[in-house]
Amino acid sequence: MKRISSRQLYFFLACIAPVGKLLFLPTQLANSARNDLLFPMLASYLVQAGAIFCVLLLAKRKMNLYELLENTFGGIAAKILISIFALFLFYATLVPLLEQRLFVQNVFYDTLPSLIVFAPYYIFAAYVISKPLSSHGRVWDILAPLSVFGFLGILVLSVGSADFGALLPIGAGGIRGFLRGTMSATNWFFDASIALTLLGKFDYGKGMAWKGALFYLAGGVGVLTFLATFYGIFQETALHQLFAFSQTSQYFSGVTVLGRIDYLFIFALALVMAFYCILPAQAGVDCLLQAYGKPRYLPTVFSVLVTGTLFIISLTLDYRFSEVLEVISGTMFWIFPIFTVMLPILCLLLRRKRREKA
Amino acid sequence: MKNITGELIKTKDALKKLLPSEDILTFDFISEKGMQFCVVFADPITDKELLGEQVVRALLDYDGKPTAAEVGAKLTSPEMKTETALDILALEILSGNPVLLFAGMDAAIIVGTKKVFTRAIAEPSTDVAVKGPREGFIEDVKTNTSLVRRRFKTGELKIEFLEVGRRSKTAVALCYLEGTSTEQVVKEVRKKINDIDIDIIPDSSYLTHFLSSRPYSLVKQVGTTEKPDIFCAKLAEGRVGLIVDGSPIALTVPYLLVEDFQSSEDYFVPTYRATFTRVLRLFALLVAIYLPAFYVAAQLFKLQLFPVKLLLTISGAIRDLPFTPSLEMLLVLLVLEILNEASIRMPKYVGMALSVVGALVLGETAVSAGFVSTPAIIIIAFSGIGLYAVPNLIEQTSVVRLAMLLVAGSVGTYGIILATGFMILYLVTTDNFGAPLVAPFSPVVGRDLRDSIVKYNLGSLQKRPKSLKSPNKRRLK
Repeated sequence: MKRISSRQLYFFLACIAPVGKLLFLPTQLANSARNDLLFPMLASYLVQAGAIFCVLLLAKRKMNLYELLENTFGGIAAKILISIFALFLFYATLVPLLEQRLFVQNVFYDTLPSLIVFAPYYIFAAYVISKPLSSHGRVWDILAPLSVFGFLGILVLSVGSADFGALLPIGAGGIRGFLRGTMSATNWFFDASIALTLLGKFDYGKGMAWKGALFYLAGGVGVLTFLATFYGIFQETALHQLFAFSQTSQYFSGVTVLGRIDYLFIFALALVMAFYCILPAQAGVDCLLQAYGKPRYLPTVFSVLVTGTLFIISLTLDYRFSEVLEVISGTMFWIFPIFTVMLPILCLLLRRKRREKA
Repeated sequence: MKNITGELIKTKDALKKLLPSEDILTFDFISEKGMQFCVVFADPITDKELLGEQVVRALLDYDGKPTAAEVGAKLTSPEMKTETALDILALEILSGNPVLLFAGMDAAIIVGTKKVFTRAIAEPSTDVAVKGPREGFIEDVKTNTSLVRRRFKTGELKIEFLEVGRRSKTAVALCYLEGTSTEQVVKEVRKKINDIDIDIIPDSSYLTHFLSSRPYSLVKQVGTTEKPDIFCAKLAEGRVGLIVDGSPIALTVPYLLVEDFQSSEDYFVPTYRATFTRVLRLFALLVAIYLPAFYVAAQLFKLQLFPVKLLLTISGAIRDLPFTPSLEMLLVLLVLEILNEASIRMPKYVGMALSVVGALVLGETAVSAGFVSTPAIIIIAFSGIGLYAVPNLIEQTSVVRLAMLLVAGSVGTYGIILATGFMILYLVTTDNFGAPLVAPFSPVVGRDLRDSIVKYNLGSLQKRPKSLKSPNKRRLK
């Protein structure tokens, strides 16, 4: 089996994970915290970086998540727990998937296209899920430079149009806005859960936990810079600007002469996002495979089942994205901290030594 | 397996029975002292002049004992061996090596007077270099191995001759540098070659199917070259090479995709120039694959992608076209592919006429008749030229280009992005003989990046590519 190298893991944390936070989240935060939108994002990043630190510490035990659970609770309980965790990961896929569909329909087509244009994504998703999770390491090697290219390109084209003074005065949204913003951002922060499923697929190196958390925060700095630029451009109207990273660069003066060259960068980020959006679902399938063995046909069966279900759900919720978001990041926001923050911390309390198998 | 007997007539008859073909001849002669000899040979592939000179003339005054050792000592051929099994003798005759029989013999003598029909060593038309060696492989395996041997004056160069094909018994030379190539790869290649059970191997391309880890894949998994200098450079990097009798194209494994962006000339020109041309090749390939697709997708789904002035020009050009943009592009692409295919196959003197027909009649007239637009022809021309910037990948990229065009015409730019995603995942998960196909980009191998799309100077390339896992790491001290 191919192992994920520490470099690939850092690439994921610093370059791939931030892309998922550039689409709908800036709008959501502008809606909740207005000009203080940086603070909920910063808080979420710090908490998540802490969780990632814990997960990477767990890598020292050289066991995957299922083995960690089995080591403490025994086989049956571990199977139940990991199945619940897999269900959470499938649930976490929902918002990125739906926001991506809306993004594709709105940004890549002049007129509202038929539903069929997004259907190939499910074929792509099924193919990705059928591959082992560890194969993503090599994908990240290719996607990381693409992500940096796309992100920097958009930032360079956008930053000239931004008025950063719009972020002042600090604290205008109050503590309530900060809390509301942090709460509404929870469902975009599932990276620690992804890292949990990667346990056993990479080797722990010296200082990896610190480095991992720092790389994640470095990605966070990029997101915060983008967020500041986004709010600096749109200011009070930011809460109406959906699909943030496709909006900010359109005011670049060269666009009239060169055409929408910013689309080059948008395409790069869209490619990265195509992989990132399906990652939780793939991680969920990997959890099930850890628990229930790996016959050759099982990954294909799981990938078809999961993508089929996601396809039906996304068809059903076609024009209900705002309602879905209201439930997931409003009423049910507490689900995410349980699995992405508390679970990694609790996992540190699991039994350290391997149990002797009878 | 039957063996020869001391009786000349019986052995000759047995061989004739095994080889009843009319081109298998026998030549009987008696020495001055009365000893009977017979040579059995395949007429078209035996050098009869050499046979007469080295065998018949040498034995005319033979008066020794009828033993293979003594008779052999009298022959003047540098290549000979003794054999008793009739099957092996028959095989040697079919390979062009005559068999000498004599009365009272203990073993027959096989004489190496094979007639080899070869063309002269010339520069391969598919891999022309302005600077650097101009030699190219030809169809004869012996000549080809000699071109390799000439470049390695060391015992570390091992050339093993294997035989493939139940009927063709084609010679395959397995070449590697002992201590530099990975032993595991040598073993795996040898095993894969020995396991092939096919009747004939007309060309080295047949072997690629058996060497590939994904035989039905669109992606190339075995390196090819027609030039001995490239072949030797690849061996020196730690690869294993295969030269097949009857084919001027040699194979190398493990294959890395980046190989096809490198040309031998890159190593004979300044590094900045080599880097520039490699970047240009990559850019040309991307243009070849993506330009027609994005043009169609932009026209159909996202006109914003064009700058305003260009949009006005395009809209003027496509206004009265009877076809949709994707159909128009598909037609032009199809015409290009047909012209390309026809120009390769047809006699050279018709080629000029074809160029006129292609460029003027089909191009100019189709535009003025309103069947296709000028931008479409320009786009396809760009794409067609770009494809030939990386000639070793033409078969693959032309199919990918077509697929991208179809996806762009039906789903638009997002389809192109997803198709790219498919391609990336497929490529990065393909390994060949333990080497990742997309190395040194995925997984990133820092050291190997120095000779990838970027080319460092020779002094910086002190070690062999890490992706090939050569046990002998240092090449420059």
